[in-house]
Amino acid sequence: MINERELIEQLKQGDETAFKTIVEQWKDMVYNTILGIVQNETEAEDLAQDVFIKVFEKINTFKGDSKFSTWLYRISTTTALDHLRSKKRKKRFGFLQSLGGDSDEKDSIPDFHHPGVSLDNKERAAVLFKAIGALPENQKTAYTLHKLEGLSYRDVSEVLNTSVSAVESLMSRANQNLRKQLEEYYNKHYK
Amino acid sequence: MTSKEKIQQEIGQTLQSLDGLKRAEANPFLFTRIKARMDRKANVWERTFSFISKPAIAVAIVVVVMAVNGWALWDKSGPGTVETVTSENVSELANEYNVVASVDNYDYDNMTNE
Repeated sequence: MINERELIEQLKQGDETAFKTIVEQWKDMVYNTILGIVQNETEAEDLAQDVFIKVFEKINTFKGDSKFSTWLYRISTTTALDHLRSKKRKKRFGFLQSLGGDSDEKDSIPDFHHPGVSLDNKERAAVLFKAIGALPENQKTAYTLHKLEGLSYRDVSEVLNTSVSAVESLMSRANQNLRKQLEEYYNKHYK
Repeated sequence: MTSKEKIQQEIGQTLQSLDGLKRAEANPFLFTRIKARMDRKANVWERTFSFISKPAIAVAIVVVVMAVNGWALWDKSGPGTVETVTSENVSELANEYNVVASVDNYDYDNMTNE
């Protein structure tokens, strides 16, 4: 079986077979990361395509200083966050949003169901995903990489280009914010 | 159990609801779709280049560029329309707005954060 370094070298030469192997090998990782951030399956698939097109076009800028997967995670999280930002901008100036306001959305019933969640946790996970969606960008990214992709704090720190202690702090603040949001949610909806 | 304790229990369980989550699987035809998108993108550039490289279009572009250049030169060589900016103008402006015109007076080694 061909190793990672050879694959990357072949991709740098524009080899389509190498590109196909890379897509097949890392597509679930990229898709799952993006899905956790954008929380929409159709958008996540389009963005996963964007990520791999960027990989094909920018592979020559990959110097091998970090792991290939770290580089892929960086492109995936940046692409997903850029998408959310542009969506937010469009929404902010949207006509419907001006009528509805933000508060309605905050109180609405969670509607995103991650396909990897077990059936008995489905409703709870949907509530949690809604709270994750409201986290600040860097907390959302750290939380998604750690909880959904199972990355260690060290790996998350490499993706975010920061220290392990900074990731610990991000995770702690993310957990505090999630608790706060969940408390508000259950105070309103708990019977 | 009070309702506050029940809510805390709910929160704890909700926070644990992603434990043991399975990775979502991407579309099995993802590569085919990526390839189709890349081909479409390449086609747009191909079409653009083949359009530009048609002799009639290429000649027309060259003529337009030369015409614009000629017009720009003719316009500049016409009666004096551009007012020259002298160093006197600059220093007058600097005095008027109390701007230091030179940075030579700064001592970068002994700058303070006042």
